[in-house]
Amino acid sequence: MGSMERSKKKVQLWKRAIVHFMLCFVMGFFTGFAPTGKTSIFSSLVSISNRSDFSPQPLEVFPQSKLENYNRSLLDGSPAAVPAATSKSDQDSFDDDQATKILKEEESKGALIPRRLLIIVTPTSMKNRLRGVLLRRLANTLRLVPPPLLWVVVEQQSDSDEVSEILRKTGIMYRHLVFKENFTDVRAEMDHQRNVALNHIEHHRLSGIVLFAGLSNLFDLSFFDEIRAIEAFGTWPMAFLSANRKKIVIEGPVCDSSEVMGWHLKNLSNLTDMIKPAIHVSSFAFNSSILWDPERWGRTSSAQDTSQDSLKFVKKEVLEEETQLKGIPSADCSKVLVWNLRI
Amino acid sequence: MKLTALQQQSRRNNSFRGASPLDSSVDGTIKSPAAIFWLVLHGLCCLISLVLGFRFSRLVFFLLFTNSTSNTASNFYSKSSFRDSTETLAVQSSLGAVTAGSLPANMTTKKTGVNTRVVVGRHGILIRPWPHPNPEEVMRAHRLIERVQREQRVQYGVKNPRKVIAITPTYVRTFQTLHLTGVMHSLMNVPYDLLWIVVEAGGVTNETTSLLAKSGLNTIHVEFNQKMPILWEDRHKLEVKMRLHALRVVREKKLDGIVMFADDSNMHSMELFDEIQNVNWIGAVSIGILARSGGGEEEISVVQKEEEKNSGLPVQGPACNSSNHLVGWQTFNSIPFTGRSARYVGDRAIVLPRKLEWAGFVLNSRLVWRDADDKPEWVRDLDVVAANDIESPLSFVKDDSVVEPLGSCGRKVMLWWLRVEARADSKFPAGWVLDPPLDVTVPAKRTPWPDAPPELPLPAGEKAVILQENTEKHSTKSRSPRKRRSKRKHAAGNIDERVSITRSGEN
Amino acid sequence: MRDWRWGFVGILFLVFVIRTEAWKFSKAQHEHTERISGSAGDVLEDDPVGRLKVFVYELPSKYNKKILQKDPRCLTHMFAAEIYMHRFLLSSPVRTLNPEEADWFYTPVYTTCDLTPNGLPLPFKSPRMMRSAIQLISSNWPYWNRTEGADHFFIVPHDFGACFHYQEEKAIERGILPLLRRATLVQTFGQRNHVCLKDGSITIPPYAPPQKMQAHLIPPNTPRSIFVYFRGLFYDVGNDPEGGYYARGARASVWENFKDNPLFDISTEHPTTYYEDMQRAIFCLCPLGWAPWSPRLVEAVIFGCIPVIIADDIVLPFADAIPWEDIGVFVAEKDVPNLDTILTSIPTEVILRKQRLLANPSMKQAMLFPQPAQSRDAFHQILNGLARKLPHDRSTFLKPGEKILNWTAGPVGDLKPW
Repeated sequence: MGSMERSKKKVQLWKRAIVHFMLCFVMGFFTGFAPTGKTSIFSSLVSISNRSDFSPQPLEVFPQSKLENYNRSLLDGSPAAVPAATSKSDQDSFDDDQATKILKEEESKGALIPRRLLIIVTPTSMKNRLRGVLLRRLANTLRLVPPPLLWVVVEQQSDSDEVSEILRKTGIMYRHLVFKENFTDVRAEMDHQRNVALNHIEHHRLSGIVLFAGLSNLFDLSFFDEIRAIEAFGTWPMAFLSANRKKIVIEGPVCDSSEVMGWHLKNLSNLTDMIKPAIHVSSFAFNSSILWDPERWGRTSSAQDTSQDSLKFVKKEVLEEETQLKGIPSADCSKVLVWNLRI
Repeated sequence: MKLTALQQQSRRNNSFRGASPLDSSVDGTIKSPAAIFWLVLHGLCCLISLVLGFRFSRLVFFLLFTNSTSNTASNFYSKSSFRDSTETLAVQSSLGAVTAGSLPANMTTKKTGVNTRVVVGRHGILIRPWPHPNPEEVMRAHRLIERVQREQRVQYGVKNPRKVIAITPTYVRTFQTLHLTGVMHSLMNVPYDLLWIVVEAGGVTNETTSLLAKSGLNTIHVEFNQKMPILWEDRHKLEVKMRLHALRVVREKKLDGIVMFADDSNMHSMELFDEIQNVNWIGAVSIGILARSGGGEEEISVVQKEEEKNSGLPVQGPACNSSNHLVGWQTFNSIPFTGRSARYVGDRAIVLPRKLEWAGFVLNSRLVWRDADDKPEWVRDLDVVAANDIESPLSFVKDDSVVEPLGSCGRKVMLWWLRVEARADSKFPAGWVLDPPLDVTVPAKRTPWPDAPPELPLPAGEKAVILQENTEKHSTKSRSPRKRRSKRKHAAGNIDERVSITRSGEN
Repeated sequence: MRDWRWGFVGILFLVFVIRTEAWKFSKAQHEHTERISGSAGDVLEDDPVGRLKVFVYELPSKYNKKILQKDPRCLTHMFAAEIYMHRFLLSSPVRTLNPEEADWFYTPVYTTCDLTPNGLPLPFKSPRMMRSAIQLISSNWPYWNRTEGADHFFIVPHDFGACFHYQEEKAIERGILPLLRRATLVQTFGQRNHVCLKDGSITIPPYAPPQKMQAHLIPPNTPRSIFVYFRGLFYDVGNDPEGGYYARGARASVWENFKDNPLFDISTEHPTTYYEDMQRAIFCLCPLGWAPWSPRLVEAVIFGCIPVIIADDIVLPFADAIPWEDIGVFVAEKDVPNLDTILTSIPTEVILRKQRLLANPSMKQAMLFPQPAQSRDAFHQILNGLARKLPHDRSTFLKPGEKILNWTAGPVGDLKPW
């Protein structure tokens, strides 16, 4: 009798235990089906199989388009898991860089605050013998500008791959445009090149702040932060220097805070110029939407003259829309951040 | 996750105990350490089965999604091949969309077992209502690009890079900001550990300090208590002394790495910084010489003629034979410029490089250490070297043949040498801050401008005139050379005007 | 009491054993993926030599060499696989001169080498040519009639394979050439559940000139600075003025939604640096065109650019050997408007892993038809595919007197002699 009861109890116990185990097993089973991104928290438990955890992820790409917010949070969590999962070779050679790397990671996390797109237009003429060197110098500067930045480099079509080779080593996001026309006059060629770039921007309806950066220009890095704040148009003082000269010429707006009060331009010979002062092409920047969305800027049918000579149109706009012109730097335009060096 | 699982676990246990009286009766019957042991064991087993379950599910998940991804993928596709016009905005209504019904019977039967039908005919062009990219996504993409590029460097770049110690002699002058900013931007792009030793002639100034602060680089700003002389000849000599001074800093601090000499007017290709990592003790790279006068046209034409003759830029650096052994030095041919080379800073003529510029050499910093264990015996000590007037870092070695030619044996130019300066007496607004702000020449259209009498058009370059006046007062040092050429200056004055006018149109 | 306690200890032990086994298993799985990342799956490494024998029919040169002489452009266009495969087989160790011991029979007909002046292959004559060639082999050798082609393979790299028409609707109407319905087809076309994709066909990559690609290789440390790259048509205005037929509207959708996105380097202009640009892009779009496949897929793999495949139900080349899901990104055609969101939300680690896999030389090798052939190249993968179909099914061989194929089926135009 006692033994019977005992065995009964024993069976009950067994049953109970098995039920518990089963329950736990099922629980574990289902937790395993939770989104894989979360397994990074489990990484201590399953760290060895980290990689296999990753492999199914490409599939998750599909529903992600709909679960945007959900995934964003997922992604935000994931960089923490990244260093642990990087390959061994990674860790070997990056040991001393580890600190900076993590720092960078954190930095870039903060960098998710959206910034305005900068579109830098650089015409390059083959007639300029220093083209390659100066292009590298400009690239070194632009490389330091925080993204997003799009560098539009224009050149005449040729067999030489000098420009493309320089550009592709920079790591900057760029568009390399070529044109077929021949020019004898460098000035006309440069204007044509800028128009080629503007047509590209117009055709693609790229939205950002356009700046014409010539090879002879030098920039202070803070300048790029300043022009990101431009709403419609912006202008700044620029210093013109040439080798072996004594004098420096500074041209540019005269501002009260960031409001343009007047101009200081060198080339004023007569009164008609005063109505339409010639502004140097590298001394203003503008919102690209005036190229492809003129209605937004209160002009109805400028489509014609934009396609013909966008540069002329833009220059005209800059000077006409003084109310929308922002002086840079915002403190009275009183610091030179851009130089033009003639060698 | 693990924690919560545990909590759930214990909660479950508790509830079980509380809920079933059978449990307690069992517990009641066995009141001994054995019971506790049993409980612990039970809990442990539960935990294990939990983990097991988890592992198992991962396995199942893994098997499901890796080995038969085509199946699942096709599932996704099958759903997607039918366009939902309400879901997305179709610009061209899918009028002629012929569905699979009109097709001849599907002859193929697939093992996948998914009833996908191929839609043939007109499809709508899906255009989303929001036209512009999500700025946050753009940022994310850029972060990703940055990460990919970093990974590329890890995979294919220099393994175990050494520290780069860049030595730059500088002094405050009109072109300093321009030149130094250029070099600074190059150095800021270097992906390796970098230390920048800046030696400033005439003492440390705020001008230079604030520039260096912008770089965010690890810098040592050293003062050198001698003014930069006006004659190029003397200037080169002083610069050598300044570089040696920086090397002494390297020696004293026992800085370990690769020493490079970056003049503030050098221009660098980023490949140079990878290439110099290959140096063992002392290496040499080729320098592209940008000999520019910046002045009259005729000098430029001479340089260009030279360039055309040699097809390309003149180069200075190591010369190799066909088997990539250093056989000599390629130097800049200065014969066409004899008598026309610049003598002083701002002279309207071409500044010629030294026979071998320092910028073309890189050293292992241990070469200048006082006591490095593995220092080769062909090295001259820094003190011995510094005691004499030296031209180039070649003085550090007893025999040229130990120099390692870099950059495909000097064939690849990754570094350019350019010496252009404003005239020595040229002045610039301090810190390039315009104080007071620019004088107004043309009022803005919308602002009424009572003071500007339109009858009096201002002379061209008025601002410049003001600046010049300022400089008259300050410049006393540069008197002598200016006097010497004052005659020529008048002649050149006209050209000056002409050039400035053409330039204004050049944009 | 004691004994059940021991029982628990036993269970505990068992659990641990099972657990460690599970670990081992998962580890093995892990190693498997690692191997793919290290040196490609074993299937790609297979050597077909010794596993099959192929007999190459000797055909009059009007079926192959003469056509080529007439138009040497066929050597470089994307359908050139048929020519190179022929050349490869002639000198391959798997070739046998004794048809009795052959596992597979190959009929060298160049059906896509009939180009328009613009260089577009229009396969109008192909059915007649194919029919004529089959008639020839069936009357001169006994092997065709033995199986009615079930142990024969044909290379039909045209847009819609053996349907022999460049327009999908017409191709579907035509169906696979009746005489080829028992044969194994080697083709570039791959669309799941499509009339023109016969069960058991081998899908191959299109031909891309290996030397030319080699010549444009740039160092792998060239920083990748393009997020998404695409060069090609968005609208085929000439053939599809209304839009919506071409690429089922997917390419037009790419343009309309992403032309203004700075991350999308997309254009119709074909730059001279096309190959170089692919090597500095992270994602390369491989949307369908008139047919689901495109040579971009090959280029993307060769140049280490993650292919973004936009072609619903595509059957990818050598899908049984190449882990396409691991190296590429699949985007449904209806999801094209969300392409930017989809691509930017892929975790970085996943992207880096795809790039590591793409850097694997085996993967690249399997996409190429090099001259001369190299081990593990696409030729070998085709042979591997054929070898995996061996031994032949019993249904391959017909009973004496049995006839399945209808020689008079199909459009009347196809029945005319070639």
